Amino acid sequence: MLRRTSMLSAIALLLALAPAAAQGLSPRNANYTIDVRLDARSRTLTARETLVWTNISNAPQAELQFHLYYNAWRNADSTWMREHTLTTWWGQVSARRSEDFAAIDVSSIRLTGSGAAVDLTNDVRFIAPDDGNTDDRTVMAVTLPAPVGAGQTVTLDIAWTAKIPRPFARTGAIGNYFFIAQWFPKIGVLDAAGRWNCHQFHVGTEFFSDYGVYDVRMTVPRGWPLAATGRERERIDNADGTTTHRYYQEDVHDFAWTTSPDFIERRDRFEQTGLPPVEMRLMLQPEHASQAARHFEGTRAALRLYGEWFGPYPYGHVTIVDPVWQSETDGMEYPTLFTAGTWWRMPREDTYLEDTLIHEAGHQWWYGLVGTNEFEDAWMDEGINQYANARAMAEAFPEGRVVLRFFGGFVPWVIDDAPWDRVLFGDILAGYRRGATTDVPSTPSFKYWPGTSTPNTYAKPSLWLHTLERALGWTTVQQILATFFERWKFKHPRPDDLFQIANEISRRDLTPFFDQVYRGSAVFDYGVESVSSAEAADETFLSTVVVRRHGDGVFPVTILVTLANGEQRRFAWDGSGRWHRVTVEHTSRAVSAQIDPDQTLLLDTNFTNNSFTTEPQSGRAATKWAAAWMVWLQDQLLTWTFFV
Amino acid sequence: MRSSDALVEGIRRVNRAPVILACVFALTLLAVLPFSMLMRNALEVHLGNSMAADHAARGVNDQWWTEFSAQAGPLGRTFSTTIIGFAAVLDNLSALLDGESRTPAVLWPGAGYLGLWLFLSGGILDRYARARPTQAYEFFAACGSYFVRFLRLAPIIALTYYALFAYLHPVIFGNLYEEITRDVTVERTAFLLRLALYVLFGSILVTASIVFDYAKVRAVVEDRRSMIGALAAGVRFVRRNAGAVAMLYLLNGLMFAGVLVLYALVAPGAASSGARVWLGFAVSQIYVLARLWVRLVFFASETSLFQGRLAHAGYIAGASYKRPEPPVVERLVAPDSPW
Repeated sequence: MLRRTSMLSAIALLLALAPAAAQGLSPRNANYTIDVRLDARSRTLTARETLVWTNISNAPQAELQFHLYYNAWRNADSTWMREHTLTTWWGQVSARRSEDFAAIDVSSIRLTGSGAAVDLTNDVRFIAPDDGNTDDRTVMAVTLPAPVGAGQTVTLDIAWTAKIPRPFARTGAIGNYFFIAQWFPKIGVLDAAGRWNCHQFHVGTEFFSDYGVYDVRMTVPRGWPLAATGRERERIDNADGTTTHRYYQEDVHDFAWTTSPDFIERRDRFEQTGLPPVEMRLMLQPEHASQAARHFEGTRAALRLYGEWFGPYPYGHVTIVDPVWQSETDGMEYPTLFTAGTWWRMPREDTYLEDTLIHEAGHQWWYGLVGTNEFEDAWMDEGINQYANARAMAEAFPEGRVVLRFFGGFVPWVIDDAPWDRVLFGDILAGYRRGATTDVPSTPSFKYWPGTSTPNTYAKPSLWLHTLERALGWTTVQQILATFFERWKFKHPRPDDLFQIANEISRRDLTPFFDQVYRGSAVFDYGVESVSSAEAADETFLSTVVVRRHGDGVFPVTILVTLANGEQRRFAWDGSGRWHRVTVEHTSRAVSAQIDPDQTLLLDTNFTNNSFTTEPQSGRAATKWAAAWMVWLQDQLLTWTFFV
Repeated sequence: MRSSDALVEGIRRVNRAPVILACVFALTLLAVLPFSMLMRNALEVHLGNSMAADHAARGVNDQWWTEFSAQAGPLGRTFSTTIIGFAAVLDNLSALLDGESRTPAVLWPGAGYLGLWLFLSGGILDRYARARPTQAYEFFAACGSYFVRFLRLAPIIALTYYALFAYLHPVIFGNLYEEITRDVTVERTAFLLRLALYVLFGSILVTASIVFDYAKVRAVVEDRRSMIGALAAGVRFVRRNAGAVAMLYLLNGLMFAGVLVLYALVAPGAASSGARVWLGFAVSQIYVLARLWVRLVFFASETSLFQGRLAHAGYIAGASYKRPEPPVVERLVAPDSPW
């Protein structure tokens, strides 16, 4: 009893004396100092980590919760692996060998500070707050000897080892390429009410964590170039043939690094009037050496456009990693570092590279700086970024074409006549159409049906943002997002924070719209049913246009009627009824009608029925395309008969 | 006979029988026409009175395209951007080498066409083997005669290709490819490895094709009834004349590649409208004609090589198919006949 009292007193002292992090751009309440050694041969990490954590909630907290993401691939019974069976992502996991799996084991966790350390190792337990899966070890809980009061800081010293997987979910190793992400015990996020937001690792969602300062020493084989979140501050060659790289970064919420003896390094600088300069560092695969300029060009476009639209990139440096073939680590974002993705044969018309660069660089804003909860509101970073990404592509790289890949994906073929439209053709609209009703977006993202979570996370919010842009104007939407960015950078906003700003900036109550696109799964489909004209008195015609609302979604739309003499009449319809009729009395008869002719409502799942003409060209179009298809079929038959 | 001589002779024989080329071309057109009409109807119904048709008639209306695909049946779902221009050729070749399955909706016309091709093969080989003009009756009589024999060969052909694609292909491009590229991190290396596997699988495929071709050639030229015997004879011929057979196949293959390269240069795009659509279609049909011509040259030159190596050009064991005389002629020839 006496011993326990003494210990609690010591802890109280520790809590009181632990130094709080210096104030910066962010709250800096989760600060890490990590010393990690990579054994490339055994693909293991051995590390010590010091976490200085401040309780910024309003309630005392007696328990700490940590993410141990690598345990998602510890066995086939983790929640990630179970959910994986419902998707087609990340290849066939069943084909993985035992050595391909991963694990992270905490060997020691101690409460330290200026006083005596308290060993908490025996107080560690695994919890499964999302699904109660007792086989899931991706969340670790530790009970403290005494609660950490609001505003108080604790220091934890954690020792751990990790087995690096063959890449799963964009982290792991293949050959001599190591991309190390979600690799360390990371504390969850405590909300203002003192509730932990520390979800298990799910197959369909990503991450969420607090901002802080990262000071990381990584020891790797000597001569292996290394890139990481932050800037290199120190490099020491060790006697054992290794090199220790020390990287440091303030005001970020994650840390990733990569090393490989094959990387070639290129550097360039982003400079744009009105925006802070950014040093760009590119870690490139030798076979992509000729594409270095494209990598910088794409990144530069994102830094310029996102900087001008939403706010400047504040870190002054960014690292682009070109991953190796089949590493499955391409197209992923981490603070101040992201991975691109390209092919050996990459025609200039194939803007997949630029698209990926803009998307992942764009995540520096929507994920990195505005720290949304990717477990619960995955659409907030992916959807907003997808939308901005499409805009940026249209502005910076409008010359893209549809590129098909044959023979195992190695041989590209450019369809010159098919321009690439990120909004319409990039599987965005088609993807949304397939998954329009599978989930209500306000459902926590980790609960989405894994097979169709992508359309709800990426496509739908992107499409409704495009719709808002077309309805309210780009200036308004840009101001909404810029205000949202400014108010919520280095914080953790929720959807209502965005909606409130949208209402405020647009000076409209957009709640009914958000109710449909976010709090519901309404499907929008307007169509023109008929256009007819009858002779009226005085050599005039009475033309009648009937339009219908086929879906359950309601949106105000315009009806455009074109007369035989070329004149056009526009009518507004609030879109609420199931059908609507407009009439035109004129000396010319109506020859066509369009509902939503400017395609404001990009969520409309069937745009083909949005127009009606009395002189249809469907026969001509059908003949043309049936003829093209016929040649394909003839060629198919000839290919088969070659062997008979 | 050298391979090059066989090739020249094959080309000569094909060119001297333009009707055969015209017939197989017409057949190729007719085989796909009903399905194309179905596709056209599906496209027209979907477009209906929509103004999207204007855009689709002028070029690629990608939005309409994805909307059509989303609601289309199995046949309609084959309507993708891969049908545009030379992409169609790459798509089909790639699908063949990568062992991609096609929708059953396409397999039906394929099966029908293969059956017709099998039927015609006998007549075509007979014509090229005789190296002289034949009447339509003789041609179709040969078709009918050899079709029954080739039908007995067909299960062996089908089983062989089934085994190659259902069992060997997954081993080569599944297990083997994944194993040898497991730790490959350079795409170029992976591509070269895949290329090597294409050559390996392609060689096996071509070997099977050559053996079946020469089995048919021997069945026709030597009037063989036993297809097992013809197959064994085909294997023997290929084995004993491996160099010449391979060289001839290579020469034919180069012609095939030449046709593909030419088409890649002139294949119509999708942006055309009006008369240019039909011009593009005509170019595509010339390509189809050229592909058929190359296939017939394969047949004719293989026949020529066999005849040149084992007998002499134009040798064929079977008698010509004579049209039976009408009864009135028989009566005149044999007046004592009770008929």
